[in-house]
Amino acid sequence: MAELDSERPAEVAIDTRLDPAGSALVTVSGDLDISNAGTLEQAVASITAERPERVVFDLSGLRFMDSAGIAVLLDCAGKVNTVRLRDPSPAVRRVVELTGLTDVLSIES
Amino acid sequence: MGLVVTAALALTSLAVYNRNERRLLNLRVRELNLVLAATVPSIETPLASAAELAHATDGSPQKFRAFMVPYVGHGRQFASVSLWPLTTPRLAPTAVVGAAPILASMPDKARQFFAHTKPSGSLNLTGILGTARPSLGFEFSSAGRKPGFAVYAENPLPTNRRSALEGNNAFSDLNYALYLGHSRRSADVLVTSVKRLPITGRQASDVVPFGAGAFTLVVAPKGSLGGTFFKDLPWIIAVLGVLVALAAALMTDRLARRRQGAEQLAGILDRVAAENRQLYTEQRSISQTLQHALLPDTLPVFTGLRMNVLYVPAASGVDIGGDWYDVVAVDDRRVLMVIGDVSGHGLRAATTMALVRHAALAYVAQDPRPASVLAKLSDFVNSGSHDYFATVLCALIDVDAHRLTITSAGHMAPLLLDGEHAEFVALHVDAPVGVAGNSHYHEATVSVPPNATLVAFTDGLVERRGEVLDVGLARLRDMATRQQLPLDDLLVKLARELASDDHNDDTAIVGIQWQN
Repeated sequence: MAELDSERPAEVAIDTRLDPAGSALVTVSGDLDISNAGTLEQAVASITAERPERVVFDLSGLRFMDSAGIAVLLDCAGKVNTVRLRDPSPAVRRVVELTGLTDVLSIES
Repeated sequence: MGLVVTAALALTSLAVYNRNERRLLNLRVRELNLVLAATVPSIETPLASAAELAHATDGSPQKFRAFMVPYVGHGRQFASVSLWPLTTPRLAPTAVVGAAPILASMPDKARQFFAHTKPSGSLNLTGILGTARPSLGFEFSSAGRKPGFAVYAENPLPTNRRSALEGNNAFSDLNYALYLGHSRRSADVLVTSVKRLPITGRQASDVVPFGAGAFTLVVAPKGSLGGTFFKDLPWIIAVLGVLVALAAALMTDRLARRRQGAEQLAGILDRVAAENRQLYTEQRSISQTLQHALLPDTLPVFTGLRMNVLYVPAASGVDIGGDWYDVVAVDDRRVLMVIGDVSGHGLRAATTMALVRHAALAYVAQDPRPASVLAKLSDFVNSGSHDYFATVLCALIDVDAHRLTITSAGHMAPLLLDGEHAEFVALHVDAPVGVAGNSHYHEATVSVPPNATLVAFTDGLVERRGEVLDVGLARLRDMATRQQLPLDDLLVKLARELASDDHNDDTAIVGIQWQN
């Protein structure tokens, strides 16, 4: 079964909200990896086009993220003033730590 | 009636075949164009880096030679590279690596050429020089405020300008001719696979931008591009149709007919599947050829160290990744190892990788301390309008002192193996290069036990979907300690066991082992 799973793209659900005060909330849940990071990239692009002050990623429902997911978050951090990660799982938190990004993508739990 | 339908179908599929052949040919010329364009960085960036180095070192011939040597010689990028100061009254090279440049024996041509080239920071072409052994010249000048130095390279054209693509090459089914500039005169041909020019018959052409100039590429199929199945399709339909019509008319044994139909259908399906597999394999081989062209093919030989590298393309998908590595000798007792991963996939990531890789080498030539190399690399990536980032691990190895100075920009720490004991090197991981603002990097210094092995890698080796990274790291450490294998076998084993099955990312592994 493991082989079959790797052939299929991972499943991820994305929800974006923009409040009038200029803050955006992106809720990402499921598994985020190289096979579906493009979906998040498009969602984030439509949010950053509105030039929000800060973007909060609610990651409480995200089980797993790889370096392709990190690339999308970093890209966002390059375009807006503040990027925060809310409630990441230990797996996601570890990727952020191991890539030396705790100062760039600040974690709030 | 059956025969009429069959004839109509056969004609239609012949028309479709012709149209498909034209479309395929246009696709192939575009594909070949992309591959050629993607090789520009492997020519341009070493010259650009050397020009930058000349600017920073006030044209030091020693630094220039030390930096250029790995790029010059048989099977490497250039046959001859030279450094030309542009401010001296007499125009002549102050350093030459490889063959003597033909341009140096043509003072008028040289003056004319360097006077015309703008220091715009892009590649300029001299055109075809010399008659006995015609060569193509490229030039890159440092785009500084004052006229500085030009780095000039020459490559001889193949004998009679003929070169067939290798049999196993993804483009071996094409005849081609590559011309200098926008012309199609036979005097301007750089290289071709055919004896007699121009190429005639069904063909497609495209312009390949090359620095400030361009090449014109003309291709023609040697046979059928879609493979024999599509060429045979009209005949297959005709033959099948005749069989069906005959069978219906003669009311022969129904069972036999059905079995025959099933066999024919199974045969066709098999052939379609084989065609698909072949196209897919060709596409992958283009990616891999390109990746190999962009990565170093030989490592320096260094007394006291055994070194090896492995690059494993992604198991699925046809994209190229941005993983790279380099191992260079700094002096007779120190070696510098770089491994990194540029974000993104595809041709763009691969060409960005080539740019970052050569820039890093130029900074190593200035000052090999890892924190200094990464700080300059970070400034370089941040200074442009670059929208990528890269994780980079840079380690300066003092062979006799058994000492390692190491810096990580967002890259995972290497594994240090000492007999049955293995630990990841403890280091402070700074942010990747290209992440806004950061230009300060921490260095860690580590003592290396005798006969120890250092294994550096990119994330493809340890990342698995649905798993905390530490699990993948622990799996690597356990596998490496259990093996007790010679270095070459160890790398192959790690690649096979850890990077093969569940993998849609590419992986690079560098192994360095002390011999005492």
